[in-house]
Amino acid sequence: MFPKFDRDIAFPLIGSLILFGLLAGAGVLYQALFTGGAAERLITVMLIDAIIVLGIQVYVGNTGVLSFGHIGFGAIAGYTFAVLAISPEEKAKRIPDAPFGLADVDMSSTVAIIVAVMVACAAAVILGIGLARSGAQSGAVSATVITLALLFVTHEVSRNWPELTGGERVGLFFPIGGALDTRAPIYLALLGSLIVARLYAQSRSGRLAVAAREDNLAARAMGVNPLVQQMIALVISVAIVAVGASLSVYEDGSLLPENFFFNFTLLTLVMLIVGGRNSVTGAVLGVAVMTAGRELARRLGQDGFEIFGIGLDGKPLDWIFRENLQTVFLGLSMLGFMIWRPKGLLDDWELDEWLRARIRRNQPEPKPEPLLEVVADTASVLHAENIEVAFGGFKALSDAGLHANGGEVVGIIGPNGAGKTTLVNVITGLVQPSAGSFSIDGEDVTNAQTHELARRGIVRTFQNLRLFSALTVRENVEVSSLIAHSHRTGRTIPDTDALIGEAGLWAHRDRRASELDYGNSRRLELARAAALAPSFLLLDEPTSGMSDNESLEMIEQVRHMAATVGAGVIVIDHDLGFITGISDRIYAFDQGTVIATGTPDEVQANARVQAAYLGSAADA
Amino acid sequence: MIELLQNLIDGLGRGSIYALLALGVAVIFGVMHLLNFAHGELITVSGYAAYAASNQGWSWYLITPLIIICAIGASLLIERIAFSRVRGASDFTLLLTSFGVHFVVSAIFLLYVSASVKTFSRPGWVTDTFSVGSLNIEVFDTIVIIVTVITLLATTWLLQRTMFGLALRAAAADFDTARLMGVKSDSVIRGAFALSGLLAGIAGVFWLMRSGSTTPSAGIDPMLSGVLAALIGGLGSLRGAVLGGFVLGLAEVLLRSRLPDGIAPLTDGVVFVLIALLFIFRPQGLITVAHAERV
Amino acid sequence: MLEVAGLTTKYGAISALRDATLTVGSGEVIGLIGPNGAGKTTLLNTIAGLLSPAAGSVSFAGDDVTGSSPEKLLRAGLALVPEHRRIFTDMTVQENLKIGGITRSVADRASGLDEMAELFPVLKHKWTTAAGFLSGGEAQQLAIARALMSRPKLLLMDEPSLGLAPILVDVVFNLITTLKEQGRTLLVVEQNATRMLEASDRAYVLRSGEVVATGTGAELSERDDLFDTFVNG
Repeated sequence: MFPKFDRDIAFPLIGSLILFGLLAGAGVLYQALFTGGAAERLITVMLIDAIIVLGIQVYVGNTGVLSFGHIGFGAIAGYTFAVLAISPEEKAKRIPDAPFGLADVDMSSTVAIIVAVMVACAAAVILGIGLARSGAQSGAVSATVITLALLFVTHEVSRNWPELTGGERVGLFFPIGGALDTRAPIYLALLGSLIVARLYAQSRSGRLAVAAREDNLAARAMGVNPLVQQMIALVISVAIVAVGASLSVYEDGSLLPENFFFNFTLLTLVMLIVGGRNSVTGAVLGVAVMTAGRELARRLGQDGFEIFGIGLDGKPLDWIFRENLQTVFLGLSMLGFMIWRPKGLLDDWELDEWLRARIRRNQPEPKPEPLLEVVADTASVLHAENIEVAFGGFKALSDAGLHANGGEVVGIIGPNGAGKTTLVNVITGLVQPSAGSFSIDGEDVTNAQTHELARRGIVRTFQNLRLFSALTVRENVEVSSLIAHSHRTGRTIPDTDALIGEAGLWAHRDRRASELDYGNSRRLELARAAALAPSFLLLDEPTSGMSDNESLEMIEQVRHMAATVGAGVIVIDHDLGFITGISDRIYAFDQGTVIATGTPDEVQANARVQAAYLGSAADA
Repeated sequence: MIELLQNLIDGLGRGSIYALLALGVAVIFGVMHLLNFAHGELITVSGYAAYAASNQGWSWYLITPLIIICAIGASLLIERIAFSRVRGASDFTLLLTSFGVHFVVSAIFLLYVSASVKTFSRPGWVTDTFSVGSLNIEVFDTIVIIVTVITLLATTWLLQRTMFGLALRAAAADFDTARLMGVKSDSVIRGAFALSGLLAGIAGVFWLMRSGSTTPSAGIDPMLSGVLAALIGGLGSLRGAVLGGFVLGLAEVLLRSRLPDGIAPLTDGVVFVLIALLFIFRPQGLITVAHAERV
Repeated sequence: MLEVAGLTTKYGAISALRDATLTVGSGEVIGLIGPNGAGKTTLLNTIAGLLSPAAGSVSFAGDDVTGSSPEKLLRAGLALVPEHRRIFTDMTVQENLKIGGITRSVADRASGLDEMAELFPVLKHKWTTAAGFLSGGEAQQLAIARALMSRPKLLLMDEPSLGLAPILVDVVFNLITTLKEQGRTLLVVEQNATRMLEASDRAYVLRSGEVVATGTGAELSERDDLFDTFVNG
């Protein structure tokens, strides 16, 4: 059942409160030890940095897309806030010729922040559309470059539009004071950011985004549309960054284009990376660690070893310590972590998840009731005909076709290069046929996309086993379940826990997919596909890499899983023993076309089929 | 008309330098899938060497090879120290590593040399012009274009006619199969960085002659131009990188002269917006190399 | 010349190859047959250094080469013609061959090029054509010629007849016979079991990652239950 109240709402809230307490508490402690304005300022800046880094984490952590542009959004928010919130008297001094009559605008800071957030989010939507068009996938260079372009555009505009921004040298100024005499707004914003970040990660959208991050193709095959989830993550993340940026501007009292450019980008990214970009707890830890490290570097740069009470009279090692040691420290931290620990200190460990696991340790969950088998809808039909696929001059498929009814098991066999996988790729939207068509329940779906086909009931597994490695068994199955609950409402949707139990994975439900052995991994893939309440399960070489015994077991598992959710099955495999053992009917392929079809016995005895497998003799 | 021709020559002059920078970036991307944000630092390093040499009274006949040697050396050093350790890592990791290297190198100069601008004297002919009809042509632009063309021809010869070039192309096309042929991964990657350094050095000579100065952050502008030009051309393609360089140079000059006065200072911003639009509508860049079919 | 003992290779949790053992003697043509997914390519790739084995050993010309890099193995005299050929499509036929001979001296390489032109007249006609424009059969010949350029002591071939029309399959197997007559040592993975067994001195049958049968080419082709072996092991 989703959402699980304690896992997805209660504990994240508790965790956010604790993290807030820890970070704010650390700040208070530091200020008690090192009194004075400098310490106070350091902690204030740290808290604001935390807000911004949390915002970046929401996007980079959940989508896996590296963004250099969030500080650019910060610039947009910061300038919007400043121009709106600075009093008209001040504006008359700095930017009397501001366009759009902005020189006369007098807004309270609160309203100004809200407007700044809205403007930044609007920009995020525009950029998000651009990213979607360029096909952002976790790790893709072009998406990162687009975000970098944003950073440069905002920098250039703020440098070269003095009427609005005060330009490069002069910038904008606030009278210092006002609402930021107290830290209340910062504390509030920090707590809010923590809560939003955690709740988002546990939400439906957050989970789907993470699935797409882990394996974009598998996510789409389970009905997830990564572009939509990435857009949601982007807008939420930019909103948080916008709040942080506005606060930063107010706290600073001045705003120059350089403030929101490369250096700040480096700082925030390093903080995120060091802690662990896939976790909110990691982001907080990263902020704390890097603030401490940076401050230490700065002090060393100023005072050398004297800060430790060792008076070295500035000799041999003194040359290491200069001002701006911070940047070297940051750069080296970035390098060091990328080389030796790219996942950061905490990877994706979350405080509230750990707490929950500890507290629940002694309360075993009862094993769920077995699922009732769903009677397959035998009227359900998958029909493909005249399919033609050409890769350049090479015809992978010609006049290929297939017919399957709900409730039956159809096998596809043939030697390597015969076109079997290509056909499955066509039916699951990964390859467009140059001719031919296929339909499900009479509805033509020849040009549908992968995730649309999954939502229509055609769900596949992969020969190379594509699980969401960092997610647990439960979370893997949940992804499909979430999609099923929104898009497969006409069907009986199996309960996730019960399905996990049926697949024999109950004992492993909270283990990461990457930790499972091979047999369990295959079972998980099957369960995950079944959770989508499919009309047809397409299994691509499910026994690849299995021993004979394991293959026999697989026959049972597939039959059982398909019966449980009432799905028809289409299986490709090279293992003739497996296919003949499981199929009601078989299609035999060779050289891109169907050479035989019929019952397993008929096809096995077919001379053409035998020849295709063994190869024909020299004069055949 | 005259103005257009003038712009054309200016644009080609700029574009030449960008083309060299872009080619340097593309060469490394081809073998390692790494977008080198530290490419500009090669010019920073050479700039400081030029400054030091200039103070010693060296003439530009000596400073020029010095710049090139420094660029090559710095490139190999950076590969050894940083990039060799992240070979085969994800794009995410590679991008951030290159980002980090950029910062460390520029920060080291900031710390241990000076934040202030170091100027050095430029050769006298840099600002000379000569006339062809009613066109005023800078001697500098002419020399840049000529040297660039020679460099590009030489690089083409290197890639097409030597075994090293062949190995580099093979590794960029299919690294594993190249290894099956006996191509050593270390050799080919180091060779790529050396070549990249050489190209950056030649571009750097002209960049430094033009600017007559260096600062710790002098590397950002050339890096950006090189990276953007390579991306415009399409990251898989060396020819694309060169084309991208010329396109960028021409675009900058033409935009600056044609944009209405109010927006002209925002030329760079406009260029970025155009580039972003290009990536949105054509993420593979301008050149989709018509690959001969894979059999 | 080649001794493989107890080789096991995994992809993550999948054991693609289990405890495989085989030998190749100098001058022999050894066939590796079996249904797909059996692990034949994995075996060749492990021997050639593209994959690291989880267990077992590979010894070549008396030296232990388990886990060596492909570059080292090539210099030791072991060349692989990979599955799907993997020729450099943007380079010409001549350039592909030159890369194959990159470890040889200039003069040596030139004489190698002449040899290949003679052995593969079809390639000689397309010497300066981009490899991507070659037909399937020509590409296969190029891939083999490219591997021969390094003067290997042992030539590994992965599915050379894959995707080729029957006439071209003839060409490939004639080539294998010619190479054998030249005294070369070959280890060939093939889908076309019937023809491979005709051409082999000895062969191994792989199924589900394990060696399930071995014998001379003649012995194995006489088995009625060969198809059955493919199906049921």
